Amino acid sequence: MDYDVLVVGSGIGGMESALKLGDMGYKVLVVEKEASVGGRMILLSKVFPTLDCASCISTPKMAQTIHHPNLTVLTYSEVEGIARNGGGQFHAKVKRKARYVDEVACTGCQKCETACTVAVPDQFNADLVARRAAYIAFPQAVPKKAVIDRQGSSPCTFACPAGIEAHGYVSLIRSGEYEKAHRLVLDATPLVGTLGRACYAPCESECTRGSLEGTLPIRRLKRFISDRHVESGEDLGIEVAAANGHRIAVVGSGPAGLTAAWQLARKGYAVKIYEAASEPGGFLRLAIPSYRLPVEVVERDIQNVRDLGVEIATSTPVRDLEALKAEGYDAVLLATGTPRSSGLGVPGEDRLGVMGGTDFLRKVKLDQPVDMAGKQVVVVGGGNVAMDAARVARRLGAASVTVAYRRGRAEMPAHHVEADDAEKEGVAFTFQVAPAEVVGDASGAVSGLRCVRMALGEPDSSGRRRPEPIKGSEFVIPCQVIIAAIGMTPDTAAFAGTVGVGRNGALQADPKTLQTSVPWVFAAGDVVNGATDITRAVGEGRRAAHMIDRWLTGGMLDGFDLRLPVVDKQQVLARQKTYTIRPAAKDGVTLEAAPRDFREVEAGLTEAEAHEASGRCMDCAVCSGCHECVAACPVDGCIDLQARDQELEVEVGAVVVSTGYKLFNADLKPQYGFGQYRNVITGMQMDRLLAPTRPFNTILRPSDGKVPERIAYVMCTGSRDETVGNPLCSKFCCMYSVKQNQLIMGALPLAEVTVHYMDIRAAGKRYDEFYEQSKSMGATYVKGRVAKITEKENGDLVLRYEDIENGGTLVDAEYDLVVLAVGVQPNREAAMLFPEDKLAEDEYFYVAEPDEDLNPGVTSIPGVFVAGAAAGAKDIVDSILHAGAAAAQVAAHLERTQAKTKVPA
Amino acid sequence: MSAVAVADVTGKHTGSVPRILVFSTNNISDPGIDLAGSNHLHYSPGVEVISMPCTSGIKPSWIAHAIEQGFDGVFIASDGDECAYLPDCAHRASRIVGEAQELLKAGGHDPQRVRMAAICSVCAEPFTNHVKQFSSLLAGLREQGAK
Repeated sequence: MDYDVLVVGSGIGGMESALKLGDMGYKVLVVEKEASVGGRMILLSKVFPTLDCASCISTPKMAQTIHHPNLTVLTYSEVEGIARNGGGQFHAKVKRKARYVDEVACTGCQKCETACTVAVPDQFNADLVARRAAYIAFPQAVPKKAVIDRQGSSPCTFACPAGIEAHGYVSLIRSGEYEKAHRLVLDATPLVGTLGRACYAPCESECTRGSLEGTLPIRRLKRFISDRHVESGEDLGIEVAAANGHRIAVVGSGPAGLTAAWQLARKGYAVKIYEAASEPGGFLRLAIPSYRLPVEVVERDIQNVRDLGVEIATSTPVRDLEALKAEGYDAVLLATGTPRSSGLGVPGEDRLGVMGGTDFLRKVKLDQPVDMAGKQVVVVGGGNVAMDAARVARRLGAASVTVAYRRGRAEMPAHHVEADDAEKEGVAFTFQVAPAEVVGDASGAVSGLRCVRMALGEPDSSGRRRPEPIKGSEFVIPCQVIIAAIGMTPDTAAFAGTVGVGRNGALQADPKTLQTSVPWVFAAGDVVNGATDITRAVGEGRRAAHMIDRWLTGGMLDGFDLRLPVVDKQQVLARQKTYTIRPAAKDGVTLEAAPRDFREVEAGLTEAEAHEASGRCMDCAVCSGCHECVAACPVDGCIDLQARDQELEVEVGAVVVSTGYKLFNADLKPQYGFGQYRNVITGMQMDRLLAPTRPFNTILRPSDGKVPERIAYVMCTGSRDETVGNPLCSKFCCMYSVKQNQLIMGALPLAEVTVHYMDIRAAGKRYDEFYEQSKSMGATYVKGRVAKITEKENGDLVLRYEDIENGGTLVDAEYDLVVLAVGVQPNREAAMLFPEDKLAEDEYFYVAEPDEDLNPGVTSIPGVFVAGAAAGAKDIVDSILHAGAAAAQVAAHLERTQAKTKVPA
Repeated sequence: MSAVAVADVTGKHTGSVPRILVFSTNNISDPGIDLAGSNHLHYSPGVEVISMPCTSGIKPSWIAHAIEQGFDGVFIASDGDECAYLPDCAHRASRIVGEAQELLKAGGHDPQRVRMAAICSVCAEPFTNHVKQFSSLLAGLREQGAK
């Protein structure tokens, strides 16, 4: 047995039971789900009726709990399940949630908190103010250690095939840290400017804000930081490891090759890129038109790679891998992409005027002569290359450009924005047609494209409907130029003798490790996968660099994709009741019906737009992954964002359930306007405004920060109320309200406090005297339930109630601030701790004490006890008494059962 | 004795204030002192705080050393009777203060340069009051030319 007792929850009840049992000599394990022990009591202002400072009297108990020699406390941990193990004991599974901060090494200096770029509502201040994603729960937290709130991967970050921390750089931009944002992207790839323009932004497709007024312009934010970096003239600021003596050859300088070279160079490898073309950059430099991606942007990104000492040999095709090996390279990465255009495969395709899509784009990018002026052009295909070719042909003066595609518009593989833009630039589309023959004149030149009309049949393996020719439907599109943009294939014949080559010339490599059949040869990107897109190629380049490094350092070829699961967007949206709709930035694209030049069609974001756009981020995963905390932490290795939850299994002799209560969710009483009217707050929020650790150091109302002069209390909000399913009295709302009345009158001597009540329940030693004292101090108590609250334009609130004691008239009374004295509800997580043995609940769903009159604390499961408000609403005094009783019950149980086990066999 | 030059909130140079070394406790008095900062309460810029688990672990020689090294005074922010480690922590710490005062006397220093008070986890204001009084006392000693 690992511990005599497991105590679940460390509020005042849990701490009390644990300390008493520890004092008796039992070994106790306390599991607390929050980052600090203390529960709710530590967050209160004072306790009634003594008006002792809640913090002052609970911090010593919290410290004792942590330091008691017989107590082991696991904070930020959750009990996942408890089951009887057959020997009268219990087997418990405990999840130690990743704190991402080394609990031992953390000094509580809060530098991570200061550096953090994400602000979320502070649950320890009842959401009145914000806390950071990296945070220490509250000033009196015990232990005073930071945690980082990472709820998974943000959808944008998770969606990026390149592994770029999209949420991270957005949050840095929001903080005005443009250079740091730039460096965060550089951590993944050198192609910041390129991706900021030419990426299809899968991040934006997943952006949760898309469910509101529209997605964040994440790609253009990346362009913004790239442009700012260029303007600033600052160094890259990227750390590079010392040379490790290994040499790597990268074949191909497209996005995969450049990214792999960049990553390997940062790890200290000597990298040389071999490029067959006369210019480096692959399709970035030789295919994507300048109106989408200017040449100077690509060249700047390539210069990033050179700045790290990577050598790029152009016009140097590699045909002999063994020769490379003989030159002394320790590993070779093949990332040669798909440079070849597929042919049309129809008669006449060798006629003058027929060209491949990528061949055409390459010629244009290399400023080679291509005569399009006044010609009729047909582009065959429906992909992005087809759109690029069509739009380039328009810019070169073609009289007409027609895209002929064999399926329908919805089935086009091209990004819909590309197709839309092409159309706006005067490109015509003809759908469901397939080329049958290139028609030509006697000189061999093209005069038209004979096409056949297609009908869409059943969906094929890609899920798109298969086109089938319609007999007798042939027709000719007159044209002088035909651009075949129907596919791209790798050029791998030279490697076929060394490594495996599959269908369409694709290299064969392990999809996880990217290693080929020859251990020192790795292959990545389109040369393996066929034509994809830039981000996928970048991601493959990063993976290849990681695997090559692992292979050369003798490590396992794994550990690349360490993403946390993606957060649920619906849960993110449910965090707030309402959202302010903030206008999305304009797309910045200016298109002409007949473009004649290659000027960039999209404008960058201004700084104001970038701020506005990044400010709309919803911080889906809370932590953005910006790594600012890691940089700020003065203790090396203390923050580890790769940490993961750990499972712990323990055997215990008994269990104390002290999971406390939940506060009533006040927006379930819509007539009171909580969540809608900002000056309607809950009792817990008022306690925070009054506490010594209060957020504003005064009492003010949320809408305008005004110090309230007329404050109303609405009692029994969510308790003694069948309409919300809670007929029970919450027992302490009257008294905490009376306490707050006195504290308010002390803090704001001129304030008028009015309490709207059903009847005041002040049963307890000195409780009624406390209530009378409040009345004598000047608080007004008005009998009658409040019917509804409405808000005036200035934020003041109007309460409508029936004045029972003065003739039952309806009264409208105005206040500056309304406090809802919310009741309590059972915490039903308690019963879920026992998935096998049913922990009985009473009719109100609190943990049942079947014999509560004579055996408080004893539950339906022998060996399981309940302490404090988990068994029903209790104030602090009652909780402590009950927890003490539970501790005594546990001790008796342990003595009894241990006596049994001591009986000789 | 040394002193730190300071400027008041308006930036006006106000001369120098006594340097005070404060020993606080991780769980109780240090959060209280922290709170003084969080609440923007003003206290002397001559204060430097070292947090430790329990003030009963302070050695009298540390106090004497601090004074020898140029601190004007040492303030022990004790847990009172609420220490998590030792129920008699305050008693032990007060004995340490007594011994430290003897050491200071032996070294020719005024024993008033060490002071102790119980500070709770939200005693932000009491702490600032203590420090204010202590700082005035130390400034007075300086004016008198006391060692």
